[in-house]
Parts: sequence; C-alpha cells; structure tokens
Amino acid sequence: MGIKSYARARAIHAMLVYTGGCNGCDIEIVNAVFSPKYDAEQYKIFLTWNPREADVLIVTGPVTKQNKKPLKEIYKAIPEPKLVIAAGACALMGGVYKNIHGDIPSEEIAGPVEEIIPVDAKIPGCAVRPEDVLAGAVSALPKLLEAK
Amino acid sequence: MYSILGVIGTIIIGFIVSLWLPGLERKLIHARVQQRIGPPISSPGIMAPLKFFFKQTIMPYSPLPRLYNSLPLIGLLSVLFIFLFTVPETYQLGAFASIVAIVGFLKIEEVIYVFMGSLSKSVMSLRMPFPDLAKGAKHPNVQRSFLEDISAMRAFRLIAFGSFPLYIALFVPAVISGSISLGDIVAYQQVHGPILFSAAGVIGAIVFFIGYMILLNEYPFVILKAKADVIEGPYMEYAAKWRALVYIMRGFLMFTLATLFSVLFLGVPPSIFTWGILVNILVAVLFPMLMASFSAFAPIFTFKQFYPVTFGATILGVVALLAAFI
Amino acid sequence: MDKNVIETEITMGTVHSAAIEPYRVRLFVEDEIVKDAEITVGVNHRGVERIMEGLPVEKANSLTEKICGICSGVHLWNSVLVAEKGLEVEIPERASYIRIIVAELERIHSHLLYLAHGNEVLGHETFSMRLFYIRETVMELLRIIGGNRVQYGVPIIGGIRPRAELDEMKVQKIREGIDYIRGKVKEFADRFTSDPMIMSRITGVCPLNRKDALRLAVTGPTLRATGVEFDTRKEMECYDPFEFDVITQDDGDVKSNLLVRVFEIFESVKIIKQALKNLPEGAVVDRSWEMQDTDITKSYVEAPRGTLYHSYALEDGRVRNVVIRTPSIANIGAMQYALIGHHITDAQLGIVQCDPCFTCTDRAIEIIKRR
Ligand code: SF4
Repeated sequence: MGIKSYARARAIHAMLVYTGGCNGCDIEIVNAVFSPKYDAEQYKIFLTWNPREADVLIVTGPVTKQNKKPLKEIYKAIPEPKLVIAAGACALMGGVYKNIHGDIPSEEIAGPVEEIIPVDAKIPGCAVRPEDVLAGAVSALPKLLEAK
Repeated sequence: MYSILGVIGTIIIGFIVSLWLPGLERKLIHARVQQRIGPPISSPGIMAPLKFFFKQTIMPYSPLPRLYNSLPLIGLLSVLFIFLFTVPETYQLGAFASIVAIVGFLKIEEVIYVFMGSLSKSVMSLRMPFPDLAKGAKHPNVQRSFLEDISAMRAFRLIAFGSFPLYIALFVPAVISGSISLGDIVAYQQVHGPILFSAAGVIGAIVFFIGYMILLNEYPFVILKAKADVIEGPYMEYAAKWRALVYIMRGFLMFTLATLFSVLFLGVPPSIFTWGILVNILVAVLFPMLMASFSAFAPIFTFKQFYPVTFGATILGVVALLAAFI
Repeated sequence: MDKNVIETEITMGTVHSAAIEPYRVRLFVEDEIVKDAEITVGVNHRGVERIMEGLPVEKANSLTEKICGICSGVHLWNSVLVAEKGLEVEIPERASYIRIIVAELERIHSHLLYLAHGNEVLGHETFSMRLFYIRETVMELLRIIGGNRVQYGVPIIGGIRPRAELDEMKVQKIREGIDYIRGKVKEFADRFTSDPMIMSRITGVCPLNRKDALRLAVTGPTLRATGVEFDTRKEMECYDPFEFDVITQDDGDVKSNLLVRVFEIFESVKIIKQALKNLPEGAVVDRSWEMQDTDITKSYVEAPRGTLYHSYALEDGRVRNVVIRTPSIANIGAMQYALIGHHITDAQLGIVQCDPCFTCTDRAIEIIKRR
C-alpha cells in the first residue's frame, strides 16, 4: 500500500445528506457516528458537514424533487476522489414512497439516488443498522484507496 | 552556518511535534472523556492533511480564488516567523525578536480570518439551490449574505477584543524583566528563575492560557466557526492541499504559542542543541491536552458569554501587570 | 416591522450541521440579532396522505409508520386506533398495555434524542454522546420487543403483533433497562443543571410565554414548558389505569423545554413500571373483527412532540380521505416566534428547543402551484 492510500485509509471524512425519507436512517447514521457504542471515529471515519472536506457522501432518503438540485450541487462540490454511499431502502429504490401507493402514485420523488448521482455502495435496510453503515462504508473503501 | 542549521533543525522538530497535537487532543482527552475509543493519534493531525494533499485541486467558489487560497500560506508564514523569533539564534536581530513584533504577526493571523470569511462563498449557504424567494415572503427585498460573511464579521469583532488577554499576558514578562526583547527576558529568567513562579507570573500564565484558547478558536470560544450556525466559517471553501495547509497551520500555531509560553514564562527557548527543547515539547503537549479537557466540557459561548469572559481575563491580565510593576 | 432595521438575511439549510433534517430557515438579522425568521418546510414533501388514498387499511397502517422515524410507533398506533374506532373493535387489555409500554419507550427515546441533539447544537459534544449512549438502551429494548430498531410496528388492528408479545425474559430486560435509564438520566440532569456554562447558555434563551403559546396553538412538551397543563394522555381511555403527572415548567425557554423532557422521561418510566407490574394475562390479538364501511373517524394521541391527529374513512377495506396532523406543524409558529431578539448562534437552539420533526410535518402539505 502506497503512502497515498495509507493516508486515505487513515482519515476518511464522511458527509451526510438527508434527502427526504422518514428520519429513521438518518438518525441511525448519526447514531453510528455519535454514539460511543458504535463510534465511527475508531474506524477513522470522521463526520463533516462541509462538502469540500468530504471524501464519502452518505445519502439517505428517496430524494424529493426539492432536494434533487441541492444534492447534485453538493456532489459537485466534493473534490475527487469521492465515494457515494446510498443508505436505506428509500435511497436504494425509492422506498415505500415510490413503490407503495393506492389510487394516486406519488409524484414527489425524483429518486432513487442512483438516478441523480453515481452510487458506489448500497446499504440496505429500513432503517439501516449502524453496524451495517460502518460495514458498508468500510467495504466501499478500496475504490477510494485505489483512485488516482 | 552552525546557527542556521540549528534554526532549521528546531523548526523541523517543532513541525513534527505540531503534527501530533490534534490527534493527542482528540484521542487522549476527548475520546476518553466521551468514553469511546477514538481515532488513532496520527489520524487528525498527520494523515488528514496528507490525504488532502492527494486530492484533486478545485478552485474555490470565491470572488478572488487565488487570494483566498493563498491565505493559509500567509497564515502559516506568519506563524513560522513568530516561531523563528523565539529561537535563541535569532535574538541578536534585536527589534524582530521582541514582543511587539510577535504581537504584530499574531495580528496578521487574526486578520486573515476576516479575509477568509468574506472571500468564501460556499454551496452550503446561499448558493444552495432552493426556491424560497417568494413574493409573499416576510421581507422580500433584503440583502442576502453568506454564512461566511457572519464569520468575517465575528472575526472582525474578535480582533477588537478577543485577543486582549493574550497580548496583556505577553507583556507581563516584559514588565517584570524590564525589556521587550525576548533575549533579555530569557536572560532575566536565567538569573532570577522562571517568571511563572512569581505571583504576577501565575496570573499571567492563566490569562495567557485563556488567550491561547481564544486565538485557536477552540470550544468554548469557537463562535468564529460554530457548527450551530456557520458550519465551518472561514474555512468552508478550502479543498485539497489548501485545506491541508489550514490543518497544518492550526497545529503549528498550537506549538508556536506553547513555545512562546515556555520562552516568556519559563525562560526556556527552543533549540535543538540544549535539553531545553524537551521542556518546549512538554509544554506544547500539555497545553492542548489542558485545552481539550476544558473544551470537552464546554458549550459554545455566544457573545453574551464571550464578552464577560474576555473582559474578566483582561482585568486579570491588568492585575498581573500591576503585580509585575510592584 | 420596520424594514430599515433589517440589515441582512442569513439562510441556513437545506443541509446544515445543526439541523439533521432538511428544511430552510431564513433569518433576518441586524448586528447578529435575529429580527425575524421564516421557516420553509416542504423540502421533505413525499405526499404520504395522497399515496395512502385507496390503499387496503393494513397496508396504509404500515405506511403511516414510515411518516417519521422518530415517532414511528405512535403514528402506527394512532392509525390503528382510527380503524378500531370506526370498526368498533375491542382489543384485549394485555395488548393495550403492551402498546402503551412501546409508546412510552418511544417517548423516552425521542426525548433522549431531543436532549442529545440539543446538546450537540449547544456545542457540548460530550453530553450529546453520553445521551446517545443512554439512548442505545432504549433502542435495544425496542428491538427486543418489535424486532427492528426504528420501525418496530407493534400495533395491528385488533391488538398487537404476536411477535411483540412480552414473555418473562423480555419483561425482565425492560425492567432492567428502564431502571438503568432512569438512573443515568437523573445523573445527567444533575450534572447538566449544575453546570454554570450551560446554564448561562440556556436560561432565558428563546422564551415563549403562555399567551403566545396558546395563540400559536403550540402543543406537546413545548406547550407544557410554558406552564399550560395539557396532555392528551390524560384524555385517552387506555391511559386510565395509570397514574402519572403532567409535567409543566414556567418559562418556556430552552432550559424549561429541556427540563420538561427530562421529567417526562421519569414519568414514562413510572408508567412503564406500572404497566409491567399489572400486565394482564390473556391473548394479545383479537382477529374476530369484520371489515365494514365507516364514516370518517378521528383519533388523537399524545406523540412525543404533542397531539397527533389521524382520521380516515373506510370503504371496501380501503382508506379514504386521509388527514394527518402532526404536532410539529403547530410548533413551527412557536419556532419562528421564539427566535426573535436572540443571537444567531441561539437561533438553531431556539428551533431545536421546540423539538422539530419536519419529516412528520412535511409528509403531506399541499403545495399549491400558481401560474
Ligand atoms: S429506508 Fe425506511 S427508515 Fe430509512 S428513510 Fe426510508 S422509510 Fe425511513
């Protein structure tokens, strides 16, 4: 492992963007970072709120129409190399909001995330478990490490 | 020749030590207080800047991107100068190796925040595309500003009053030894023992520490880059290697201020030719740890709490000065 | 308000470090003091009520759970109550007790989340982390009962899911868990209230007085923090067997709001203890009910954030005319109002003190497009 990927593996800044959904995934991810029980920092994952600092973008929620543009902008603001992790059923396929409906289908969902920005890793679950978030982030890492 | 080598060696050592400080702070104090494992010591200080060096350089979104990008370099240089003046080999430069020059360079350090703040135009504030400008809004035609503009305003205010404690504390040793030249202050302490062990010295050291925390924008004095409103404040748009420089600048400032303390209050200048440098390193490690144990238990201060604290610290500093005169 | 006073406008959102949920807040400031505020919701609009229209009632119920990830259980519970009221289903007493246990556990986890988030916005990372740690215990209990950490889905029409039946082991675990939480939260509250730095940050910040609170139709703990003794739980039949107090505080500022939540955690613990002690024997679900058409039926419950309203009619086993009114929509007025006259750094705190859940709120606001 070169110095480049070594350094990348030892300091990963993750940014969380929440694009609709029910809050459940979102809180579980914050939980994964904040709660001392999971403590993402011990796996060298730091939480940031600034796209310029981020390496990993964690997206939750089905991406509502209002959120489409901000998500794109934030994605653009992250310098390469970058990873996008879609977390939760909503982010993967639009979740209940896109797929379950009665007489009128939902017109509010622009997602899933894949249709808006390229996704590198997918974490299933409704809501995702914090353990899965950490595992997902770690499993997507090689791509980040091997990038130029 | 010999002395130039000494200076460079000292700087390198200071640089290496300063890289470890953020990690020590995070791992040993914050993580321990918060009852978790925490990141490896090398991560926040060394690996993070290194990683940023290998990222793609993007132009920041700013009216003057080049100026904006060069600001951390200016900051780093001014810190470097301060550090240079504390090295004993430079004491014969006279005017430069004096408290006044140090105060001047510290001022540069503060002023660049104002520039950074007003030059950064991040996507996280106004540029976030969201249709909320409606005719029926409460105040439709108000001028809109970026979050970083608030940071710039705050930095401006901090120049006015935030750094008083530190400056006053710097002058305590000068009054005691009767000279503003660092060489004289060190010489005085070699004869009379460290200033820290006098009444004025102790008060001065406390005030210095408060000023140290304010200058480093550490919790609770973090209003310049408070997460609760301005997210990261002036640093918002730095990416890739420029962000690495910001990280390094902060670590080096931590080390330099601690060195300044050991020169002014302990009479131990940093030089690789003496064992005294161990004292410097010890102080440099102790200060962030002490700071971290305060910041782990403190919320952000708004100006309502900030003013009384700095005012109190300033008064304390004046008391120290008076005690020094007597 | 005089327009000249306002110097500039600061906009936070839709992604912001202090607000995990997406919403937009425009602050009109002068010299860093907020003169007026405008909160824009609708970022999160997913149209849950609309997509519920015409769904089979069981499916619609499980969809209500996805309205909010914090108070998912309470949404489901209320939706089930609507159906039960309309169909006149009597549920076994044991099921009612277990529903209450779950609802109160949920209140505890929601309030702990509130406290943790509040501390994060205050800038106190340590307290925030400790509270998250305490919260883990509740999440674990909910996982043991329902099988999932967030969407545990306990109530169904006629009772509760048999999976959520409480056996001896679960009862024991819950007992231990709530005792632990009670002790820890008490320790935290003592530490918190005796910390002068925190107290100076939160006392008198963003207050809401009683009159304004009533005028703005605030509900829930935010209303109780202003001194109004109102709790929907006191009006719900299923809470009759339990003895608990309605917590009130006087000032309506951040401190009162935090304290109301802390004391409500203790009350919830009290209720859970009583429920576990007197847990009736018997079946947990009664599936003998028959589907029929009903009129629009209403139901109110006390969610962690205040009064929650659900109503719908049933037609051929499908839901019609769904209306959901979440507590946070009422509290938005309070948020905007409480900020005025305070520092920008306190602004997020003022919003957080009302315990916003914009995800709940945003699910079904009709956005009228004008040409
Ligand atoms: S995946 Fe499930 S828990 Fe996550 S946001 Fe969507 S509905 Fe909520």
